[in-house]
Amino acid sequence: MDFAFTDEQLAFREQVLKFSQNEIAPLSEEFDEKGEFCWEAWKKMGEFGLLGLHFPEEYGGANADVVTSCMAAEALAEGGADGGLTLSWGAHTFLCADTIFVHGTPEQKEKYVSKLASGEWVGCMALTEPNAGSDAASVATTAVKKGDRYVLNGSKMFITNGPIADVCVVYASTDKEKRHMGISAFIVEKDYKGFGVSKTLKKMGVKTSTTAELYFDDCEVPEENVLGEIGNGFPMALQTLEWDRSALLAPFVGGMEFVLKQCSQYAKDREQFGRPIAQFQAIQQKLADIKCFVEAARLLVYKVAWNKDQGSALNHMEAAVAKLYVGDWGMPMISEAVQIHGGYGYMHEYPVERVFRDTKLAQIGGGTSEIQRMIISRLLLS
Amino acid sequence: MDYSLNDEQLTLQESFRKFCDKEIKPNADRLDKADHAEADKILRQNMKKLAEFGYTGMFHEEKYGGTAKDLITRCVAQEELAKVCAASYLSVGVSLGLCGLFIAHFGTDEQKKKYLPKLISTDMIGAFGLTEPEAGSDVMNIQTTAEKKGDRYILNGSKTYIINGPIADVAIIMAVTGKPEEKGGNVSSFIVEKGMKGFSAGEHLDTMGHRGAPTSELFFNDCEVPAENLLGVENQGFIQAMTTLEYGRIGIAMLALGISVACMEESINYAKERQQFGKPIGKFQMVGFKLSDMKVLIDVSRLLAYKAAWLKEKNDPEAATMASIAKLTATEASTKISGWAVQIHGGYGCMTKYPVERLYRDAKPGEIGEGTSDIHRILIARDVLAKY
Repeated sequence: MDFAFTDEQLAFREQVLKFSQNEIAPLSEEFDEKGEFCWEAWKKMGEFGLLGLHFPEEYGGANADVVTSCMAAEALAEGGADGGLTLSWGAHTFLCADTIFVHGTPEQKEKYVSKLASGEWVGCMALTEPNAGSDAASVATTAVKKGDRYVLNGSKMFITNGPIADVCVVYASTDKEKRHMGISAFIVEKDYKGFGVSKTLKKMGVKTSTTAELYFDDCEVPEENVLGEIGNGFPMALQTLEWDRSALLAPFVGGMEFVLKQCSQYAKDREQFGRPIAQFQAIQQKLADIKCFVEAARLLVYKVAWNKDQGSALNHMEAAVAKLYVGDWGMPMISEAVQIHGGYGYMHEYPVERVFRDTKLAQIGGGTSEIQRMIISRLLLS
Repeated sequence: MDYSLNDEQLTLQESFRKFCDKEIKPNADRLDKADHAEADKILRQNMKKLAEFGYTGMFHEEKYGGTAKDLITRCVAQEELAKVCAASYLSVGVSLGLCGLFIAHFGTDEQKKKYLPKLISTDMIGAFGLTEPEAGSDVMNIQTTAEKKGDRYILNGSKTYIINGPIADVAIIMAVTGKPEEKGGNVSSFIVEKGMKGFSAGEHLDTMGHRGAPTSELFFNDCEVPAENLLGVENQGFIQAMTTLEYGRIGIAMLALGISVACMEESINYAKERQQFGKPIGKFQMVGFKLSDMKVLIDVSRLLAYKAAWLKEKNDPEAATMASIAKLTATEASTKISGWAVQIHGGYGCMTKYPVERLYRDAKPGEIGEGTSDIHRILIARDVLAKY
């Protein structure tokens, strides 16, 4: 048992933290207010090397392991980057680019991964549909083979990066009768005929990531853009969702560390009844509980990351535990953080207000808390 | 970074689990329900068996008869014992940990030679006396005094909630030696032996949980303690206590974790067998989801306790706060988990025949002993306000 990070990892973490504090945090505030994607922050992340961090050097990456990727994500949020930016990053890097990298043919990787890793292209992943949320296997979007192409019809919902993506990994049914074993994955490019954004969605939080409903209206996809094997889409999607339950959780840990700092400083500065509110036990209790949460969440997230780095088989239990804890135990903590700030915490001007809105997603995206509980209880009872 | 246990730890986990299931678990219910005299007898038998297995030796150096295992290895074993019998766990923990470690850390070589081998063999049983009727969370308010007279100290006062009090052969006692106004810097620790003039233990106190761990008051009535029984130097008692209690906090976190794991295992088995509305109740989300929340809090508790142990092993200054975090989180988790376990068992869960009834009572004191949850929140908040 060893919980230590290497000196190299710690040095890198420090660099990302500084980068986030100096370059990203000032933009986060502004763009959250506007509810817009921030290309400037995105480009800076590309230049810093964060968008392709874990890919091999030949694809323009730094060959970082999962633990280091988590550290980068954590440090970004701890430095003040908003949950929208880190979500866009996660959807782009892990849910889209990594899926192509892991399952793609050499030609697909050559064509897409480098451009995604550099940030030249933006990626997204489309699984969820208007009527297929938690019941992900019930996707209604169809892909029918016609000659040397597949014709896609249907729509996808809540797609992060949807409005700005150049490349989209889409899951569609190629054999309805086989249900989840009849789902296949396709790489769809922005310009393909019959593919587009039907609606850009407005959200409660993570506002700097853009979200869309996508339509596929006799969208023609060349046969060579089938990703992985026909009928193997669902296991691929689950594998991808593992990232949702590891590296994509790291920003919530960093975000809460950022919040704890805000709370501690506010509690020391803010005076009521003639003394700093930090001296009241009611405030101390909240600070202590937030601290306990941060430490526990960090251990869970890095455990998943470390296991991924060992090349172990997917541990659905561990990932679900981490995801559930971060979401369901994190939400009350960010609520307490707002509470410490009182009226000010309810104002846009204070970052806890943004983090509160951003955190709600942890209970929903990448599999709701209820789905995580279903996974855990099923595994416990089997 | 390495989140795995090593081969030695895995081997120990397996063999000690088997030992506990065979030797300790079958007596846990009787230890809980027997009268004090019989309970003490069962406890002593359990302690002997644990000594023979080598559990008690893990806490101490080889030259005093121990095997000096690292803290993570100890945690691995502690979880197994805590799972089957909280009372035995606590009694052994107090004897070898709070009492034994105090002597190991601050005693002279002679004191160590005199007490540690016998504590390890359980021929001697140790206790630790800090809490008093008027000094619980406010530990610096202790009133027991030790006045030096010639080659001895004269102790006067009383201690309460002392685990192993009724059966202890040796006790570490904290008493005021300095000026009353120098709170925190006026306390010393003494080794007091059974039979010393003026020292006596009260009757067994009836407790809610871990009923098999004998608990009593201790009385000092012009109790004469030889001057060489002072541990370390005068007026260092609180600093000594604080460093030793970090081990105690990790120990209580592991106790709570063991209780939680036992609750989850009982609940899983029950949820699979118990049929209502034509199917096993585990298939109902309200039951299944309680199980999943148990699992989450168990994983969290274990990781935090291991992290605290790992830091403490390295003598990292962060260990103190992490021990508080682990203790607070694991004990509050185990009261929640044991409550859910009773709920899943329904009416049966309220019957003393089912282990979850005992586990429910065993869990609660975790939030109180070794610093209440409230005290730990204050300590953690203090650390946050200093560092953030």
